[in-house]
Amino acid sequence: MFGSLLKNSLRFSLHRPTRQPDFDAARLGVTALALQAPNGSAVPPGCAAVLVDRNGRSRRLAAGGRIAAHEGELAWCVHPGPYSCELSPFAAAPEIGLRVSIAIDASDPRATHQRFDLFLASEGGDGVELAQFSAAMQTALQRELAQGNLDLPPCTTLEEWNAFRAGFNQLMYTRFGVMVDDCVPVDLGAARDYAQVLETRLAQQEQQQAARVARPDIAAPAAVQEAFIPACEDARALRRLFLELPCLMCAIRLAALPAGQEQFRQQQELLRRLDLVSLAVGTMPALELSAPNQPLAQQEQLRRARHSRRAAAALDEAWALLARIKTGGEIALAPLFDEAERIVANLEHETAGRRSVTLDEREEVPA
Amino acid sequence: MSAPQEAVCRSVAFDGGLLTITATRRPRAGRADVKCSVPGAPQLAERMQQVVRLARHTEARFDSRDQVVLGLDRAPPGDWRDWELAAVLADRMVRGLYAPRGAVTANGWSDAWHLGRIDGRALLNVPAGVLAGGPGGLPHLGALNGQPDPAAGVSSARAWFPLHSGGEQDRLGWVEVSVRPLAGAHEEDVPAVPDLDPVRGAEVGAVLQAARHFDGRGQGQWRTTVRFGEPRFQGDSYQFALVMADRIARGREFLARGRVIATGCSSAWHAGKVEAVDALQAKCALIAREAAPGDRVLLPKEWEAGLQAGLIAGLRDELRARGASLACVERIGII
Repeated sequence: MFGSLLKNSLRFSLHRPTRQPDFDAARLGVTALALQAPNGSAVPPGCAAVLVDRNGRSRRLAAGGRIAAHEGELAWCVHPGPYSCELSPFAAAPEIGLRVSIAIDASDPRATHQRFDLFLASEGGDGVELAQFSAAMQTALQRELAQGNLDLPPCTTLEEWNAFRAGFNQLMYTRFGVMVDDCVPVDLGAARDYAQVLETRLAQQEQQQAARVARPDIAAPAAVQEAFIPACEDARALRRLFLELPCLMCAIRLAALPAGQEQFRQQQELLRRLDLVSLAVGTMPALELSAPNQPLAQQEQLRRARHSRRAAAALDEAWALLARIKTGGEIALAPLFDEAERIVANLEHETAGRRSVTLDEREEVPA
Repeated sequence: MSAPQEAVCRSVAFDGGLLTITATRRPRAGRADVKCSVPGAPQLAERMQQVVRLARHTEARFDSRDQVVLGLDRAPPGDWRDWELAAVLADRMVRGLYAPRGAVTANGWSDAWHLGRIDGRALLNVPAGVLAGGPGGLPHLGALNGQPDPAAGVSSARAWFPLHSGGEQDRLGWVEVSVRPLAGAHEEDVPAVPDLDPVRGAEVGAVLQAARHFDGRGQGQWRTTVRFGEPRFQGDSYQFALVMADRIARGREFLARGRVIATGCSSAWHAGKVEAVDALQAKCALIAREAAPGDRVLLPKEWEAGLQAGLIAGLRDELRARGASLACVERIGII
């Protein structure tokens, strides 16, 4: 009897729509930027509602209204902020950071598509927590600094700081759709004591060393793999690519005005290739099947998911590149086109890898 | 970034001769990202491909457009692994990520290339001019630019300063600061400076003490070791480089993509002030000659204001054209 009860409750929970049961409006504006709201609930004061349909088209509702979602639409309540968070621009320098204050703008009437709405549609999930959002911002910032697209060198001068701020603001707006109100360098020494970090690291290393001495027959542990659920990761990455690539193409067409015939052709070629990538994403085979009704080996599923994750990383780079184009200034367009070519080539490579059933590396082209 | 089509890196072999690794770059055309060949030893070629692929995990930029073909000129014995570092460097050189001045000979092996760590070398007596991986040499790949290893328990950073004697021997020397947490042990945190005589060692200690006092942190927290690449030098223009290396090692300074090259001294490090040193012209010429893309050059502010302002402006333009940057600093710390 208990068994049947359990089965019933299990079936019940499986068939219930996966909505967050408690929509806690008090967390909005404090620890969460946006929360998924159930249909029919009122939009809390000071917030706005964003409704997104299956194809990523969004509309906004002002505060005080009642959410009436159409078939297939998801709704989030968004608090405009401001929010404050601390970012580490360099992983190796934990005691120096940036205190950043961000806000979400009211919808911009000039833009056909609000970037933050797109962010919600593709990465919103159950809601956007502040901690998770600032981690994403930090990753984007660290990558741009490591690639040398933004500069924050030792003893930054005022001009360099201003250039960094312009690039950083544009990056945050283009990638996440948030406005950076304020950003100052801060000393995080009190909160993130580097000496303590190193102490724990040394203690861990000593433990590992001792374990290795005690059991020399066991080989050194391989690289610790981060928790990685292929199905979730793959679905998330493909959703992002599916929704964001068309908007990205549209934005690049508007932002990068080619200087001459040659560059125009280059741009057309890039857009054509992006279009094909977008098509490939839209027709991507299921992760777990190698052919209709033919399951795919776990190992290959993992490989496919890694490819789609790397494709999503290339998409991040594309947004960052768009931010650089928009920041403009005296940068020549030619190296940016080369960068765009690299990113598109990476996207093509990863989507092809995601599509393939086995790892097929042609070793040699017959001469 | 301009990358060469071919690069060569050598490694001292088991028998005292040289192994040569040649890297070439060509369009990928659907092939594997790295292809390796070792005459008569396919397992070794496989290991080389694995090493290079793992080491690429530490890079920020991924490019799927090129294939790199690596070839070793003869097969070393199966347990000889000192060529690994040379293979990694050749792969970086051919893609323009590492641009050394002159030919490189490197020895080192690792079990953790994906972390950029270099575990050691089999070569016992390292000849002059050979880049030796592992403890006491190059402990991880980022150290080529003086950056601390983000996964190590002991943080060490390097900064470079011009060694000027008015002759052909002028070049950049480095100073390395390694810090290890004291963990509550009640020791005096007097820095160890094994390379210098006690008087100059005490000078180094006083500079660090004063600069950390200005910083407000780091006093009584660290056991510090300072090493110099060239211990025979005069003057105190190394001080600024020393202070920067210390700040970077303690994780309290933004990082440059390349090396930090600094010259300057101070009579008041406790106030964070940077003061001018001699031989402006010669040092500027030296820096202009030696700077590589990504390097950060730090000079005393007074130099910019003086009669030689034009020279500094010229150096700044020259460095920018090469992808390096220059700042004239009056005071260390956050702007």
